[in-house]
Amino acid sequence: MSQISEKIAIRAREELFINIQPIQAGGRLTPEAMKAMIAYGDGYSTCDWCLKPFRLDKIRKPPIDEFHAELADFLGMDQVRVFPGARRGFQAVASTLVEKGDTVIVSGLAHYTEFLTIEIVGGIAREVPPNEDNIITGEATAQKIEEVKRETGKLPKLIMMEHFDYVFGNEHDIRGIAKVAKEYDIPLLYNGAYSIGLMPVDGRKIGADFLVGSGHKSFASPAPSGLLATTDEWAEKVFRTSRATGDLTGRRFEGKEVELLGCTLMGANLIAMMASFPTIRERVKRWSEEVRKSNRFVKEFLKIEGNKVLSEMPRKHTLTRVDTTGSFDEIARTHKRRGFFLTKELKERKIVGPFPGATKKWKLNTYGLTWKQVEYLAWAFKDIAKKYGIPVRE
Amino acid sequence: MSEKAVMETFEALFALTDLRQIFRETKPTYELSAEQRRKVKEIIERVRRSLEVIEREMIG
Repeated sequence: MSQISEKIAIRAREELFINIQPIQAGGRLTPEAMKAMIAYGDGYSTCDWCLKPFRLDKIRKPPIDEFHAELADFLGMDQVRVFPGARRGFQAVASTLVEKGDTVIVSGLAHYTEFLTIEIVGGIAREVPPNEDNIITGEATAQKIEEVKRETGKLPKLIMMEHFDYVFGNEHDIRGIAKVAKEYDIPLLYNGAYSIGLMPVDGRKIGADFLVGSGHKSFASPAPSGLLATTDEWAEKVFRTSRATGDLTGRRFEGKEVELLGCTLMGANLIAMMASFPTIRERVKRWSEEVRKSNRFVKEFLKIEGNKVLSEMPRKHTLTRVDTTGSFDEIARTHKRRGFFLTKELKERKIVGPFPGATKKWKLNTYGLTWKQVEYLAWAFKDIAKKYGIPVRE
Repeated sequence: MSEKAVMETFEALFALTDLRQIFRETKPTYELSAEQRRKVKEIIERVRRSLEVIEREMIG
């Protein structure tokens, strides 16, 4: 096997295997992004033409300034900045809006990084419970706000809410939640880690104050990369510039945006995001086809006796949580390799991605697979089931 | 002289990157459509041309 260096092997997973790892699918690079990594990999490569006011989003060559404007327009927001991951976008908003002791509403299916960003500023996260179908509704969000108001005498300072969560890939009532946020006059942060870059998202139409997206999860970009988009009104606050003065030198850094610590994605990660952007613009228009492929796979997967889908049905996303306790786990219980038998059988059929050894509840993602690959994937699971005597409906 | 070789090195790497994409789209069976076969042929020719330029420029 070829090596990058003595201890680093090449990663040819995406060329050799069908990879259904749940968080890797939307971040697979476009060929243009791969080319950007080749040409712009050197450290401060974006800084060749960094002129006054010495800020990343103002650089004209390559056209980073233009990218920012086009990206904001694409998202239906006034302004955008790139960040090293969605989590840094959450952090910028929380750091601007939330003070010690303030409450922030999050989903009962929220990603841990939302909790951490609230914790950093001394805020208190309160979770909205999902309903019996694992969906967060506007009504449940309103109830939680009322609960917080009753207990603390104050309204929450912020609502952070996923459009699609990372556990089930379920779609939550984001428009209903935005309506509730408006009624209570609480700013809404739309967590689009599993939507921005995959499907059309228009912040203005949703009624969000902040949109946060992940480059490496859903924007065909390397890690870490992400974005935070907002309105002109909020941009003044969250993208505020430095007012600090050095007491000895009298130095000032007036152009530098405090929450961004000046510049953020300086180098190949940003250029890769930019390089993927034309493809992103087009691929979001084909989201419904990706969902059809997801449903096609699930339909075949459910022909294996004992297989269950724990996510909402029909699927509205390509990330799906499944339960194979009644099928593959039955085999794992007596197999000498235990749960790793499934990992091995899949790998022999050139499929990777499910958590190694998992045969009970696990997640997969079909995003970006061709129809042929989706059919092959479904065949592979059924072939393994048949090999071990698990009934498969035709 | 060597500027040409440098540029052709990038051209070759980019062409091979396009080949990577074809691998990604056709894995794990790598059954190519007529269009994909045409693309692979084009890529190989592109890389060959680049290598010839590099050889001429750098070795003589």
